Amino acid sequence: MMMLGSLIEKTFGRSLRQSAFDATRLGRAAIALPAPNGLTVPAACAAVLVDRSGHSRRLAAGARIAVHDGESAWCVHPGPYACELLPFAGAPELGLRVSFAIDASDPRATHQRFDLYLASEAACSVELAAFTDQLQNTLQRELAQGILDLPPCTTLEEWHAFRSGFNQLMYTRFGITVDDCVPVDLGATRDYAATLQARHAAQQQAASEVAAPAAAVQEAALPEAFVPACEDARALRRLFLELPALMCATRMAVLPGDGARFRQQQEMLRRLDLVCLSVGTMPALALAAPGQPLAQDEQVRRARHSRRAAAALDEAWALLARLKIAGEGPLDELFEEGERVVANLENETAARRLASVPLDEEPA
Amino acid sequence: MIIPRDEARCASIASDGGRVTVTATRRPRAGRADVKCSVPGAPQLAAQMQQVVRLARHTEARFDSRDQVVLSLDRLPAGGERDWELAAVLADRMVRGVVTLREPVVANGWSDAWHLGRIDGRMLPGAPAGVLLGGADALAHLGALNGQPDPGAAVSSARAWFPLHSGGEADGLGWVEVSVRPLDGDGDGDGDGDDDAVSAPDLDAVRQAQVRTVLAGARHFDGRGAAGWRTTVRFGEARFSGDSYQFALVMADRIARGREFLARGRVIATGRSSAWHAGRVETVDALAAKCALIAREAAAGDRVLLPKEWEAGLPPGLRADLRARGASLACVERIGII
Repeated sequence: MMMLGSLIEKTFGRSLRQSAFDATRLGRAAIALPAPNGLTVPAACAAVLVDRSGHSRRLAAGARIAVHDGESAWCVHPGPYACELLPFAGAPELGLRVSFAIDASDPRATHQRFDLYLASEAACSVELAAFTDQLQNTLQRELAQGILDLPPCTTLEEWHAFRSGFNQLMYTRFGITVDDCVPVDLGATRDYAATLQARHAAQQQAASEVAAPAAAVQEAALPEAFVPACEDARALRRLFLELPALMCATRMAVLPGDGARFRQQQEMLRRLDLVCLSVGTMPALALAAPGQPLAQDEQVRRARHSRRAAAALDEAWALLARLKIAGEGPLDELFEEGERVVANLENETAARRLASVPLDEEPA
Repeated sequence: MIIPRDEARCASIASDGGRVTVTATRRPRAGRADVKCSVPGAPQLAAQMQQVVRLARHTEARFDSRDQVVLSLDRLPAGGERDWELAAVLADRMVRGVVTLREPVVANGWSDAWHLGRIDGRMLPGAPAGVLLGGADALAHLGALNGQPDPGAAVSSARAWFPLHSGGEADGLGWVEVSVRPLDGDGDGDGDGDDDAVSAPDLDAVRQAQVRTVLAGARHFDGRGAAGWRTTVRFGEARFSGDSYQFALVMADRIARGREFLARGRVIATGRSSAWHAGRVETVDALAAKCALIAREAAAGDRVLLPKEWEAGLPPGLRADLRARGASLACVERIGII
């Protein structure tokens, strides 16, 4: 964890120092800001303190933040916040206007989901714009997989089914409660015709720049720069902190109906436990063996597997959301889906451990 | 709802006129590679095929690490030939239930951007019937199999399907494709002003006028896009009678202009209207025959849209049957958001 900490500091340190605490941004452009030690928690806000192992505690407004050794503190404004989400990248003029709030402390839960989010995913401040992007990605992924459904000419009944799935997903994945969500016409702000025109212009330009393709490629690659060390550290941190919480929630989400289901659930938890163990003992990205550096392309490969494992973790949260509202419903289907997600986690973490990919195994 | 199977085949026409068949089989992964390819006597080509299939998988939303797909070519294509690429990608998807296609499938196409789902072209000359052709003038990207617009293209085209029913052998689903691009400033200087904003080159004059009226009405209802688009409408089968295609046309237009939620599969719609400007969907004939046709043709992810008046007369079990297959059905009175 020391290594992780120093890495994150290296990556985000600059922005950490730059952003002095500005309470007026809270509740508007920022959801959570790192709070300096000794600060009195502003009215309407709460402080979340997270220690190195991801355990969190909250302080109410008016309290003075006293950071224990190794803790980081944030000030969180519960909202409400408003944002616009695009459910389909291919339909840019049709969106959802969502208003949400950060969940107040739930006395039933031992671990607040939003606090876990802060501990595991928030490197520094949580800005509303970036958070909205994350919500949107999550929504788009679920829709693309057909887990949530928002088909053409959605009927009222289908809309209600979507809403209950969406609300639960947002609560389970991010710890936010969705107060309101309505479809809106975004035509006035996101003009599809202009997007198409821009694409056309870009293609024309690319065609005329065939003479210097290398430069164009480099430019195009910039926005998606993939820094293996950062990606890997971020993904592993998420897995390390979130898997235990996920297992705990999964254990509670399903009331074992009969022996077979109970055994199925136990088996799944056992496998998740092994994934946890594997993540906790993950070899360092840059080392093939102690004191022996790993080639750069193998590091990229390892980081890709970490990222895919984190994607499987997202799917696991989404699945948990479905389990919570399933009741006596399609449990067979959900457990089958769970098998797939756990298998993906196992597969990616195992591949992340390898220092190199073995050449193709058998000839047949 | 994904229904994988154990084996799928997809053929491709080789340059010598014969067929190359890709066979995909699915088996438990057991710690092996996710995709394994074999081509008799050409390990290099097998590696290339593995690369193609892996890249194409980047456009899929769902990943299952429990299966290994084994792909094999039945014979060695001529050197430099690449039209088998599309067949390999489709066979890989069919065996895992990602796409459902009417078999037997013959497909020709290659791409340098499989990771974007784009299909750049084909080497096959001409356009033989029954062959799925890749390329900008035919199947331009993988999502187009379900009628969805290419998220990276400057021209947005979408398809919707409608039941063609005449009581004969030729009954099936027809498609209508709407392609839109912004009217002004596309910079190619070919004199947009003279062009009609909506063109439907394959249709007769009466039908063309009807298509224009329908689109004008539906876009008026929308409040946006009445002007500003150059639109091309194409039909898979241009010779048909009746006006039950209108609803499908309107849906394809809305999807192409980015103003409608998307289905994972195809949109299959039937309905007409005398008042598209009010967004109303009115009933059409042949409920029983069209429902039977839809029940036969619908695949996982498809969205079936019927006029509201049909709701009471739907064959019992149609809804449940479609749902069991992963498709969904709605009877709608009005287009638009909910």
